[in-house]
Amino acid sequence: MRHNRSWLVLGLLVAVALVFAACAAPASAPADTGGETAAAESESAAPAESGVQIPEVEEGKFNVAFVYVGPIGDGGWTYAHNQGREYLEEQMGDQVATAYLESVPEGADAERVIRNLARKGFDAVFTTSFGYMDPTETVAEEFPDVDFVHVSGFKKNDTNFANLFGAMEDMKYLTGMIAGARAAEDGSNRVGYVAPFPIPEVIRHANAASLGMRQTCPECQLDIRWIFTWFYPDLERQAAESMFDAGASVVITGADTPGPVQVAGERDLWGVGYDSSNACDVDPEHCLTVPYWNWGPEYVHLVEQMMAGEFTGADIYFEVDSGALGLLGFMDGQEPQPGVPESVIPQVQEILGKMEAGEFTRFDIFTGPIKNNKGEEIVPEGVTLTQSDLEGLSGIPGREDCTICMSWLADGIVPDAEIPQ
Amino acid sequence: MSVQSPPQPPPQTSTRTRLRLERRMEQPRWLNILAPFILIIAALLVGALLLSLTGSDPWLIYRRMASVAYGSKYGWSDTTIKATPLILASLGVSIAFRMRLWNIGAEGQLYMGAFLATGVALNVVPPESPMWLMLLTMGVAGFIGGAIWGFIPGLLKAKLNVNEIITTLMLNYVAILWNNYFIYGPWSERGFGLTPQFPRNAWMPRFTDYATAVPALRGVTAHFGIFLAFFLAIVLWVVWRWTKWGFEVSIIGDNPQAARYAGINLSRKIMVVMALSGGLAGLAGMVEVSGVVHRLQERFSPGYGFTAIIVAWLAKLNPLAIIVVSYLFAGLLVGADEIQPAGIAQLLQGVILFVVVGGDMMLRYRLRVTH
Amino acid sequence: MSDSTPAFEMRNITKRFPGVLANDRVTFVGEKGEIHALLGENGAGKSTLMNVLSGLYHADSGELFIDGRRVRFNSPGDAIAAGVGMVHQHFMLVPVQTVAENVILGQQDVGFVLDTAKIEAEVRRIGERYGLPVDPRAYIWQLSVGEQQRVEIIKMLYRGAQILILDEPTAVLTPQETEGFFHTLEEMKAEGKTIVFISHKLDEVLSIADRITVLRQGKHIATVPAAGMTKPELASLMVGREVLFHIETPAIEPGEPRLILRDVEALDNKRLPALRKLSLTVRSGEIVGVAGVAGNGQRELAEAICGMRPITGGSIEVTGDNVTGAPPIIMIEAGIAYVPADRSAMGSAPNLSVAENLALKSYRIPPIGGRWFMNRRTMREQAEALIQAYDIATPSADTPSRKLSGGNLQKLILARELSSRPQVIIAAYPTRGLDIGATENVRNLLVDARNQGAAILLISEDLDEVFALSDRIDVIYEGEIVGHVSREEADRETVGLMMAGERVTKSASNAES
Repeated sequence: MRHNRSWLVLGLLVAVALVFAACAAPASAPADTGGETAAAESESAAPAESGVQIPEVEEGKFNVAFVYVGPIGDGGWTYAHNQGREYLEEQMGDQVATAYLESVPEGADAERVIRNLARKGFDAVFTTSFGYMDPTETVAEEFPDVDFVHVSGFKKNDTNFANLFGAMEDMKYLTGMIAGARAAEDGSNRVGYVAPFPIPEVIRHANAASLGMRQTCPECQLDIRWIFTWFYPDLERQAAESMFDAGASVVITGADTPGPVQVAGERDLWGVGYDSSNACDVDPEHCLTVPYWNWGPEYVHLVEQMMAGEFTGADIYFEVDSGALGLLGFMDGQEPQPGVPESVIPQVQEILGKMEAGEFTRFDIFTGPIKNNKGEEIVPEGVTLTQSDLEGLSGIPGREDCTICMSWLADGIVPDAEIPQ
Repeated sequence: MSVQSPPQPPPQTSTRTRLRLERRMEQPRWLNILAPFILIIAALLVGALLLSLTGSDPWLIYRRMASVAYGSKYGWSDTTIKATPLILASLGVSIAFRMRLWNIGAEGQLYMGAFLATGVALNVVPPESPMWLMLLTMGVAGFIGGAIWGFIPGLLKAKLNVNEIITTLMLNYVAILWNNYFIYGPWSERGFGLTPQFPRNAWMPRFTDYATAVPALRGVTAHFGIFLAFFLAIVLWVVWRWTKWGFEVSIIGDNPQAARYAGINLSRKIMVVMALSGGLAGLAGMVEVSGVVHRLQERFSPGYGFTAIIVAWLAKLNPLAIIVVSYLFAGLLVGADEIQPAGIAQLLQGVILFVVVGGDMMLRYRLRVTH
Repeated sequence: MSDSTPAFEMRNITKRFPGVLANDRVTFVGEKGEIHALLGENGAGKSTLMNVLSGLYHADSGELFIDGRRVRFNSPGDAIAAGVGMVHQHFMLVPVQTVAENVILGQQDVGFVLDTAKIEAEVRRIGERYGLPVDPRAYIWQLSVGEQQRVEIIKMLYRGAQILILDEPTAVLTPQETEGFFHTLEEMKAEGKTIVFISHKLDEVLSIADRITVLRQGKHIATVPAAGMTKPELASLMVGREVLFHIETPAIEPGEPRLILRDVEALDNKRLPALRKLSLTVRSGEIVGVAGVAGNGQRELAEAICGMRPITGGSIEVTGDNVTGAPPIIMIEAGIAYVPADRSAMGSAPNLSVAENLALKSYRIPPIGGRWFMNRRTMREQAEALIQAYDIATPSADTPSRKLSGGNLQKLILARELSSRPQVIIAAYPTRGLDIGATENVRNLLVDARNQGAAILLISEDLDEVFALSDRIDVIYEGEIVGHVSREEADRETVGLMMAGERVTKSASNAES
């Protein structure tokens, strides 16, 4: 009896382990720093593909593989990348064949997956999560004839490995202007920001939003909550609720789900989504806008370079003029959301126009004088932050070190806010 | 009070046909030997059924999976990479399981092993030290990190009789959060969720590193951690079979009262066994960061510590069988991850696991039809 | 009650286990309102036959009728539903649950929310009705073996058992308890219930049973009315030869004190005082019997001496060394051998082989144990020798010990304990549940050890055994030695009174009185 019971106990443990192994393994873990919305159950599901596929190269075409961290139906980060892939196929027609692998865990598994793609003969591999950076670098070294593009990192080589990211801070700046105008009109003079992690990218975005907010509402303050996750619906909601409780009338989210927008709806206040153009769909009435990624044009551009043999390793950081960044309600063929104050629309349109023309960039946002949230001057008059400053990078071979590194909070953010260590 | 209570109707008067499970009194020998094969075939058949429901050709997919996992030296290399931490972690949990200590904290122990090994590689041993010294120190640190994480529940169990299932499970979360603190905080590279890369001499040598001497090894990225895994499996096999210590563990596992009666110090044994169990899982973490990831980062383990429980169970805690089962599992994981959409691959993995595990339990029973 | 259909009828039951024919075309019939004793040596197939009747096993062939209807049980649940309940020798109770919870465990119709009060009341009612007093709220682990047995019986009665199978029920009871227990059986019989009573105590069988069925080596030997049978007749039916009921214990002069307990105090599992300033001495070459009703500190006494239970006061001396508070390993090294009361729960590791069980203590010393390694070949050779010497019936030395019958398991334990040539032997209920042949064997082994100079403390509730083997008898009551008698002076009546707490010191000749 004793013996049998022990096996039963162990059997139950195994059952538990099955659950954990299943949960700990792939899928459920979007861990990229690109800022992404696994906008959960939103309707933007994957195209209905029947049957099982295994990525294979097609003879006579330029074969491009994409490695995704989440499922393509996440309605957020990966969804946006997959839209880009489809756009690429559409634009390039018969010249290009694409394949993708979704829900690839970061780390060791990613390296294997990327290496196998290269081994199979893909001409280019796009890896779309921060955690793929090292694996991509390693494999790029092993396969000099294959081109690699890593999204949201900071590494590259001189020949076949580039990194790709964009100036989302531009759109966050405009978002800040809209939110500030809204808060001024509401009389709350307070905006909230859900910040996933205290990393340079997130700090840069929050700072840009705060500086934008001060353009339309000099008295406004930007409240901030660090949640230490990209994807945790409950925490995101709680962070939004606590900032609404503290008096904000608009909450901007830098995290993945539209939870904060939903909370805004429940309070009859205002929210701003992130990541993909459908993030407002949960509650359009209470959603002011969404700064979103539009990867397609960049993909087409890069693949064209590759096919022409002109691709080399580079730090690619696109601006609004690339067409790869969007602000819901203000792009061609879009109408501003109902909650956007009339007064601010022309201002946003004007700056957006300059951005699209390449006349206003991230460097214009981050040009002195800029104070930090304690009132101390950080960027003196006439000084413009460098790209290294913006990315908070130092010690990267081939890049200059940052001097005013992105580890400060800009004027307009509540004075007692700190960057957690 | 002399009234007789009404006699109960005998159960067999019902005419319904019933299926029922009965526990087998003894497992027939042939069943024990054939069981794994029967189970795997059954699992593949069930999987095939599901695959054909999704409109694809199961035979093609299985062939692809097999060839990806075992069809080339690269496949074997990839499978070995996955099998290495799996073997070590499974050996770890099997030590505790032998004593009926349900250590389900291998995942956390693995993280703590990786943590301490990382700490040593980045902050303690000078980067210009010889490789052997670096790796040895990291190995010891990895073992200690896991061992501490196993020892804590062992201590609580031995001294206060705290249920180890709960403590080991909870410590998993503590370990993962502890790691997160360091990789986002003090050890973070530029605030990202990872540490700087290890110096080159903290990288476990890989077969491909010797490609200049043996060209056939080019691209074989499996690392030498597999030798450690094999070695420890053999050591453990010897320990169970031939040592006094192993004998004591099997006595405790079978009947702790008898062990106490035989003069074995139970509480000391519990602490030592839990520490060793955690230590091996810690080594799994060390070889993974040193051989594959080359830094500590968030979620570097795809649940090896949990899969190890299943592996140890299916291998019936036999160290040599653990090697075989680990390779099977590793192959399943490697073979499945090219199947798209990923949900199907996960479904298939789940179904195969479920059938194998469930089937193994079923084989302890037999089905009877009654009328 | 006028119903003349047999309560149950087993016809030509055959049950085979790998290598063993446990029941060979056995026919066994129980009438309503009778107490039917099932006699046989261990391994005769009694338990197997009753496990078939109670649904635990399937017969390979043969038929089973309950109340005239043919049935086929697939599980004990089916048997219970048909009114057949069995109380096993090893109780099937959940220690961390209460009496009431154990009683309803496995019941189908209790509903989702337990009406605890109702169940407790019912348990209490059944207890009073049949003279089986037990606190429904007590936890099983708090109960003595005798009380646990009551719970098992109540459990079966609660489920409406009409046929009650009792495997060695009196082994855990005192003479007085046994008497009360027999009243319980009579009560049930009067209600028309059928009681199958497995026992080795021929006196009891003769006094309580209506009919007696004897099995030997899996075969039905005889079914006879109890009236008119004698002990020797029954014994020879069982064993197939004449049996001696007397053990020769040659008078020898005891030597130096080997085991001295002074004012020892210890707590029981409920953390209540179990031993209160208990003192006793055992000398080389003598057997000291400790007589007492179960639950008066016997278990705690044995465990305290072997280092398995911390003592809270007093001192223990073994061969002149003070070993107070030492762990079991020190006690083993000091030369204490322990034959524990519970053979399978403490005395052996059921899934380890016979050879491994024989080496349970000797694995750590040469010739088996080296510094790190153990020599399994030597272990096996020693095991073979012990199996021979102690006549342990086992298919091989590699057989798991759980497959051994109770008697053979006890022989295994004795082989292990006695072969180490111990200075002191603590033997707790060494013949409980053993058949006549095995009992004889075990007693002879103990007397041999004594004759060779071992100091033996014999803890037993079986007064026959205590009287047959002991040179001196100490009576334990509520954790104290309340009386000493020498073998010559001992009479059952006085000892029985002392066991009930009367202080009747018949002899002042003892050292520490």
